[in-house]
Amino acid sequence: MSVLNSNSKQCDRIRPHLDAYLSNELLAETTSDVLRHLEGCENCTRELETRTRVRDALRRAAMSQVVPEELRQSIQRQLRATRLGFLGGSRGLTWALALAGLAVVVLGGLAAQQWISLLRGRRVVAGVLALGVADHVQCAIKGHNYPDIANPPEVLRQKLGPQFAGVLEVVKQNLPGFEVLEAHICSVQGSPRKYVHFITRGHGTILSVILTKSEGVQLPNGTAFRSGASRSINLYEAHLEGMNAAGFESKGYLGFVVSDLDRNTTLQIASALAPPLKNALEAGPGSTAQMNTLHLSRLTG
Amino acid sequence: MPHFPDLYRTACLLAQEPAEGEDLVQEVYLEAWKSFHRFELGTNCRAWLFKILFHRLHHFRRRWTKAAKVEAFEKPEDQDGIVAETPVPQEIRDEDVLKALGRVPIEFREVVLLADVQEFSYREIAETMKLPLGTVMSRLSRGRKLLRRALAGVASSYGIRPDNEQARKGESA
Repeated sequence: MSVLNSNSKQCDRIRPHLDAYLSNELLAETTSDVLRHLEGCENCTRELETRTRVRDALRRAAMSQVVPEELRQSIQRQLRATRLGFLGGSRGLTWALALAGLAVVVLGGLAAQQWISLLRGRRVVAGVLALGVADHVQCAIKGHNYPDIANPPEVLRQKLGPQFAGVLEVVKQNLPGFEVLEAHICSVQGSPRKYVHFITRGHGTILSVILTKSEGVQLPNGTAFRSGASRSINLYEAHLEGMNAAGFESKGYLGFVVSDLDRNTTLQIASALAPPLKNALEAGPGSTAQMNTLHLSRLTG
Repeated sequence: MPHFPDLYRTACLLAQEPAEGEDLVQEVYLEAWKSFHRFELGTNCRAWLFKILFHRLHHFRRRWTKAAKVEAFEKPEDQDGIVAETPVPQEIRDEDVLKALGRVPIEFREVVLLADVQEFSYREIAETMKLPLGTVMSRLSRGRKLLRRALAGVASSYGIRPDNEQARKGESA
């Protein structure tokens, strides 16, 4: 190995910049310096030419790799199957139509748009379910606003007030294996939103059942966004902050089941709870409008 | 599926074998589907998908790559001086480039691919690979040099004579 050029000091100064010059990452002033040097230095010019040639050859060789269409189709099939899994195998006709629509879109070369649209829907679902997760995490997990020994039912009914006292029994009856430790009306710091919060213990963990007024917040329509249904109530799910959350809409309310149990268990619990909760909310004295009149029996989070 | 060809080609050039590359791409799209709530709308979808690809790739690699190997290659030998390199042949065939690329250690290969094939900026590469900007720059410089060296080696193993005679003249000057 030996020195290539008599003007080695200048070459020494310029050579470290050649890679950044090749990547177009140099500042304008440094680029001028490099260009000025290249005009008068044959060796550095040749060096740059070699680097450019190798880069172009690499780009060409990499792009020459054939992309297997069957792999793309296989992944698309798996993504569809994942969505079918979320659906729980119901709503055959609607889903068949959705699949047919998807196929047309894919065949029409609009797969990318479809993909983005579906993912955006999932994001909306996650955004809504984040309400329940925030209350569970702040009030139950971080705030630890529940006793080790369950509060007596009469205390819980008092905390819930007449509007939601009846819901306590609905939660108890439809949550086998769980003990309701605490029930109250709470809010999350920084938000005026109120939550009817049932904190339960079972399966070795803490699980929250939460109701809150929709107040304009909606879960997206479309079968692809749902994770299942229970007696015509659509169920949605998301994994957020280490928790699995299942949610549903019911006559102006959003309902959530949040825990660190696995996704299927959380969905099953929500599936069992959603219909009776909906009935209780519709039938009870404290349906939609009365949520506004609630006083905060306990502020948490 | 957006950016499928880019992800597939990159994965196959970084995996130990094609089937592993295919598995990687598959995992990227399934992971993207499941975790789309983490994607910030309006940001670069392509960069996000590549970030998932490298996250998965590094998960795979932890099984068989040792950090010491990277450190050994990142030693100061990387200084970009004006020392004569083995000349690269004028005509470069695709198969020779791919063969030479396979000889470049993966830590350098991935940065070279992101910069030179996928045309990501240094900053995007740093974010994608969770590396400091300086490390990206040094790995790119070193990776390109290793590729040139490997390319010259592949060509000479076939008996291809480099016609960069000027460099030889300079060496004997």
